[in-house]
Amino acid sequence: MFHALYTAASGMTAQQANLDNIANNLANSSTVGFQARRVQFSDLLYQNEIMPGSAATQQTTVSSGLQIGLGTRSANTEIVQTQGDLSSSGNPLDLAIQGLGFFQILLPSNQIGYTRAGSFQTDNQGNMVTANGNKLQPTITIPATATNVTIGSDGTVSVTQPGQTASSQVGVIQLASFANPGGLNSVGNNIYLQTTASGNPVVGVPGGSDGLGTIQQGMLEQANVNIVDEFVNMILAQRSYESNSRVVKAADEMLQGLNQLAQ
Amino acid sequence: MASGVYAASAALVARTQELDAIANNLANASTVGYLSEHNVFKTVLADTSASGSALDQAVNNFSVMGQTVLDLSQGTLQKTGNDLDLGIQGSGFFAVQTKSGTMYTRNGSFQLSSTGQLVTSSGDPVMGASGPISIPPGPVAISPDGTISSNGAVAGKLRLVEFPKDSGLAPMGNNYYSAPDKTATDATDSTVMQGALESSNVNPILGMVELITAQRDAEMMQRSLSLYNTDMDKTATKELPKVG
Repeated sequence: MFHALYTAASGMTAQQANLDNIANNLANSSTVGFQARRVQFSDLLYQNEIMPGSAATQQTTVSSGLQIGLGTRSANTEIVQTQGDLSSSGNPLDLAIQGLGFFQILLPSNQIGYTRAGSFQTDNQGNMVTANGNKLQPTITIPATATNVTIGSDGTVSVTQPGQTASSQVGVIQLASFANPGGLNSVGNNIYLQTTASGNPVVGVPGGSDGLGTIQQGMLEQANVNIVDEFVNMILAQRSYESNSRVVKAADEMLQGLNQLAQ
Repeated sequence: MASGVYAASAALVARTQELDAIANNLANASTVGYLSEHNVFKTVLADTSASGSALDQAVNNFSVMGQTVLDLSQGTLQKTGNDLDLGIQGSGFFAVQTKSGTMYTRNGSFQLSSTGQLVTSSGDPVMGASGPISIPPGPVAISPDGTISSNGAVAGKLRLVEFPKDSGLAPMGNNYYSAPDKTATDATDSTVMQGALESSNVNPILGMVELITAQRDAEMMQRSLSLYNTDMDKTATKELPKVG
């Protein structure tokens, strides 16, 4: 009796997780390449007092039973796959992906990480690295003497050396895509790791027909957080939390009344 | 002892069950594709031999929680932007192949598995007209009738089903519903909307009103129970012996 207390508590816990996620989305609304997440809920088991379809009499069956659910839980957080706005930065090594692909970077643990944050720099050897110093894979080295770097929408990196009129190609940026990008593991620093849920990366050059997308030089992809949506969700989460806490109060008052019966 | 005590306590138990069901609706107000449950009370004639007098019938006519009925009304469709988020407009359900047989859901928050199969958020394959659907990589478009195309080539068609009234659809948790065999028919008045999810059809105002009503009803039962206890039984056991 009185699951209502636990049921309402499950609703409050779920809304708390919802609010935590909204807070993280809003906190990252200025993070380049950040992809918002959205919490998905699912209902828990049901207590079957009367199962639908059970015999009511020898000739008839119960059309809908008496089933009382035991609450909700936050099931997963889905990555929102929409394209973020591209903003012009003017920096030749700032790259944005228009499409579904990810840049591949070498992490200190020798694993390959995947990111959409394309604000690259060069390290002391001229290698293209992320803001954290992780090298872009495959490695692309820009000669220190280069006066101009051009990166095409198909990922071709070419440089102009002093005294030369023709530019020379120094590498091609490759992108990776996943069958299920929603199943990637976020590890912070804008980096995702592959999981069994995401599947193996499909690596290719940008600009093809496989949906990897194209590279835009001098642009950065802003977070795909929609502030208005997040605020609406925040209000809904708060109201839902309140209605669940109201159930706790009602159940408490009913129990209190029961206890007073014996007096 | 007066049987009205039992009538009041049966009704009190029914109200606590009602509270449990209301709590579940409110807790699932944010669950995508959740269908709210309405409580139906029924009367039970506890003592059929008491059918002689109207008074006997009244005090033996107990109120118990009889049924929870699924509310199949449409929830609002909310835009999400994800290509594999599908909302159903109409009374249809998606069919899903799970370990415990075919289940039905209105939660269209689908993904691709690592092998490219269309799956629910719990990883169960979504059924097409001819079995699970595999979608090759590339931009996905899903038409209102459920036809899925990837890069312009048709990859499959979602199996949308509808159920007749009183078909015995039962909630199983995890946003899944089960139905007795052979009750599902191909949907005729349901369409799919790509990039949107259906919010639960829980009406928070109705939930709050039901909550207050259940609480006040329970108070009434408690009050009548304590009347039996304090006024009547006490009078019978304590006051009566003093007479004479």
